[in-house]
Amino acid sequence: MGKEESGMNSTEVEALLERAATQIMLGENAETVATLALLSSISIPAEAMKLVVELHGVAKENVSEQNQWEDESSRAQVEQGLDRLRQILSEFAKTGDVVVARAATPAQVTSSALNQDPELVGDFILESREHLQTVESGLLVLEKEPTNPETLNAVFRSFHTIKGLAGFLEFAHIQAVSHEVETILDLARTGQLVLSPNLVDLTLESADFVGKEILRIEAQLHGQDPGEEQDPWSLLDRVRKVIGGDHSASAPEQAKVVEAVKEVEAPVKVAEIRKPEVVASVSEEATVAPSAAAGQDSKSKKAVTTDTHAIRVDTAKLDYLLDMVGEMVIAESMVRLDPDLSGTKNTRLQRNLNQLRRVTEEVQKVAMATRLIPVGTLFQRVNRLVRDTSRKAGKMADVELVGEDTQLDKTIIEELTDPIMHMVRNSIDHGIEAPADRVKAGKPQSGRVQLKAYRQADHIQIEIVDDGRGLNKDKILAKARERGLIGDTVHLSDSEIFQLIFEPGFSTAEKVTDISGRGVGMDVVKKQIQKLRGKIEIQSTPGLGTTFYLKLPLTLAIVDGLVVGVGRERYILPIYSVHEMFRPTENQVSTVQGRGEMVMVRNQLLPLIRLHRSLGVRPKNEDVLQTLLIVAETEGRRFVLMVDEFIGKQEVVIKSLGASIKNTPGIAGGAILGDGRVGLILDLEAIYVERSSRAEIIKESLLTAC
Amino acid sequence: MSTAVLAIPTRTKEERAGKYLAFHLGPEEFGIQVLKVREIMGIQEITAVPHTPLHTKGVINLRGKVIPVVDLRLKFGMPEVTYTQRTCIIVTEVEGESGPMMIGAVVDGVSEVLNLAVADIEDTPDFGGEVATTGLLGMAKVKGKVKILLDIDHVMTHQDLNELGKLLN
Repeated sequence: MGKEESGMNSTEVEALLERAATQIMLGENAETVATLALLSSISIPAEAMKLVVELHGVAKENVSEQNQWEDESSRAQVEQGLDRLRQILSEFAKTGDVVVARAATPAQVTSSALNQDPELVGDFILESREHLQTVESGLLVLEKEPTNPETLNAVFRSFHTIKGLAGFLEFAHIQAVSHEVETILDLARTGQLVLSPNLVDLTLESADFVGKEILRIEAQLHGQDPGEEQDPWSLLDRVRKVIGGDHSASAPEQAKVVEAVKEVEAPVKVAEIRKPEVVASVSEEATVAPSAAAGQDSKSKKAVTTDTHAIRVDTAKLDYLLDMVGEMVIAESMVRLDPDLSGTKNTRLQRNLNQLRRVTEEVQKVAMATRLIPVGTLFQRVNRLVRDTSRKAGKMADVELVGEDTQLDKTIIEELTDPIMHMVRNSIDHGIEAPADRVKAGKPQSGRVQLKAYRQADHIQIEIVDDGRGLNKDKILAKARERGLIGDTVHLSDSEIFQLIFEPGFSTAEKVTDISGRGVGMDVVKKQIQKLRGKIEIQSTPGLGTTFYLKLPLTLAIVDGLVVGVGRERYILPIYSVHEMFRPTENQVSTVQGRGEMVMVRNQLLPLIRLHRSLGVRPKNEDVLQTLLIVAETEGRRFVLMVDEFIGKQEVVIKSLGASIKNTPGIAGGAILGDGRVGLILDLEAIYVERSSRAEIIKESLLTAC
Repeated sequence: MSTAVLAIPTRTKEERAGKYLAFHLGPEEFGIQVLKVREIMGIQEITAVPHTPLHTKGVINLRGKVIPVVDLRLKFGMPEVTYTQRTCIIVTEVEGESGPMMIGAVVDGVSEVLNLAVADIEDTPDFGGEVATTGLLGMAKVKGKVKILLDIDHVMTHQDLNELGKLLN
C-alpha cells in the first residue's frame, strides 16, 4: 500500500476501479488482486467496501500462482462485482463525496452487523482494543522518536486494520476517523510529514475517540444504553486540516491543494468539510519539525510492542486444563514409581517411562504459565497517563518502568489497573511539584515516576515511586483531627499517619482540580487492593518523594512450596518465606520470661512457634530436639516454626478450599500434593499474629493448671 | 398428616417428584435429589483443616479440585462412628451464595436410587413447637419405610442445623 491511498477522492476510486477492470480484461490477474486490495484500504461507502472486500477475497482465492484464474465463474463474479461497484459509487457521487457521504450517516452506532453478527462485532471490539493499545504505546514512542519506522508502521497498520474492520461492519465514525488518521501516519511513514507533538496529540485523541466509540458499540451490543453520541466532526475537521504537504503529488492534485488551502482559510463549515477536496487540504502545522521532541531523553526504551500472537480462551477452560494436568502428573508419577515397574530391567520400558516423565513435566510447566501475563501491559498504560496528567497539571514528569516482565495472574492485572492509575495520577497531581518549584528545591525540572514490579518472597511487589514533595504529615494530621478521625492527643507513627489518607473522603489538596483532590479514591484503592488480598503501604520523605508499596499475594499464581509433616498431616510453606531449616541442639532453645520459647539462630533470638499447637494437631514429637525447626519470615519479622519432618519441595497451584471454609485463619489455601492428597498451604503471617494471642494463652493456661 | 403445614412453600409437589439417591446414617434413611449428586466415591483420606467446625472433616482432591467434605452424622448431631468399607462420600453440587459449589457428604452407606412419584412424597409434618423443618423437602414412604428427603442446598450451606438434628435424634 503506497501513498496512493492517502487523500483519496472519488475520481481516484473510479480510476482504481477502471484499472481493476482493465487488468482483468488483460489477464493481469495478480495485479487485479493487488488493485482490489488497494481499493479495500480506501475509505469508501460501507456498502461498496463490503463488496470490495468480498471481491478481493474471491480474487485472492481463485488466482493461481501461475497468474491464472482457477475457474471462469469466479472471474466473471469479480467482473460483475466491479460493475456493481461502479454503480454504487456513481450513486454516491451524485449525493456528494465518496468518502464523506458515508461518514455523514447518522452519528449513532447503527450497524446491521450489531444485530446480525454480534459475534463478529464482539471480535471487532476485542481486536480493535488490542490495536488501540499498540497505537497508544507506539505513539508515546513516536513522541520521542518521531521517525522510528518500525513504530510508525505498527501504528499505521493498527489504524489500518481498525479502519478495515469498521468499514466492513459499517461503523462509519470509526472508519472515518481512522481513515484520516491513517492518512497522517502514511504521510509520516513516507517521510512527507514529521509527527510533531501536536500531531501525536491529535492522533491520540483520535485513538481515544475510536476507543470511546468502541465502548458505545459494546454497550449497545449488550443491550445497554450506549450513552451520548460523540461528535466526530470537529476531530475530523482538525485531522483533515493537518493532512497535506503531499509534495510529490501530481500537478492536478497540487492544484487541488491550493484550492483546499483557500477553503481552509475561509471560515469552514461542517457541510463544506464534507466536500471531496478538503480531504486533501493543507495545514500550516504539517511540516513542523519536532525540535522539541528531538531533545528528549534519548535513552528512552524502545517500544515494547512485542507482537505476541494470542487467542482468547475461557479461564474456566484453563482452570480445568490446569486441574487435569495436575492429575496427569500425579498419575504419571504413580505409574513410574509403581514397584512392579520401577524394578524392571526392561530398558525400553525404562526409556519410554523417562520420556513420559519429561513430556509430562514440560506440559505441566507450560500449563502453569498459561494464566500469567507480564505486568508490562498494565505499565504501558501508565506512560500515557503520566503524559496526559502532567500536561494538564502543568508539570513535567518522566516515567520509568522496571520489571515489566514480571508475571502476574491476568485477573490480578485487570483488577489492578484502576488502583494503579489512580495512584499514579495522585503522584503527579499531589506529589510532583511544578517545574519552577522543583528547580528551587534543587531537583531536576522534570519529575520522575517510577513503576517497579518484582517478585519478593511469596508475593509480587509493585512500587509506585515519585520524587515529588512527599506527604505532608502535619497537614494530614491536622486534617484528620479536623475531621475527627483521631483525637487531639493521640500520637501516631509515620506509617499510621500515612494510612490516614486511605480514609474515605480524605483529601489534603488545597484546591480540587479536575485530576484529583476530591478525596474519593484512595479508600477505593485500598479496598480494591484488599479485595485482591493484597496490602498497601506508604513510605514518604518530605522533599524527596513518596513510594507506594503494593504487595499482592499469588492468589491464583503458582507457589514454590516446602512440604512439611506435622503428625499425620502435611502442610505447605511458601518457600520464599523460608530461610533455613535445622535440627536444634539443646542449648539453642530457651524460654524467656514473658515471651515464651525462643531459639538462638545465628546469634539472633527468634520466637518459636510450635506449628502443631497453632493448628491443633497431634505431633509425632513434643520434644523440640527431635523435631525440625524452620526459620521463616513474614512482613519482615523472623520466627521459627517447629514441625515434625521435612517431606519435600514442590511447585503447587494454590486452590481455594471452597466457599464454606476458605477463610480459615492460618490457612491460605490448598494444593494437590504429589500423591494426589490435598496439602494445606499455610498463611504464615496469620500464624505469627495468632501466636501471640491464641497459642500463648493456651500455653499460659496449661502452665497455670499444672 | 395431610393437614400438615407445608414447610417449603416454594417447591411444588411436582417439583419434588423424581429420582432420589437413598443413603443412611445409622438407622435413619435419607434421600437427596439425584440431580444434586455429582458422584459417589468410597471413603478416602481426608485432609483435616484446622479451626473449622467439627462436622467439616476436611478437604479431598476430586480430580484436581479441592472440595470440602462434611460428615453428615456430625452435621446432624448424631454420634460419630469409625469409617468402614461401606462409608461413602457423596459429592453434591449445591447452590451457594456465590454460585454452585461442590461439597462432599460422608454417609454410612448408599443403598439405591428411588424413583418417587408425586403420590409417594408427603409434606414434612408439623412436629409442633420450635422444630425447624427447613432443610427438609418432605417424607417419602417406600416399601413401608419412611425416608427423609433432604434439601441438600440448605443442609450444606447452613451451619446451624441443631433443630433438624434434634428431630433426627
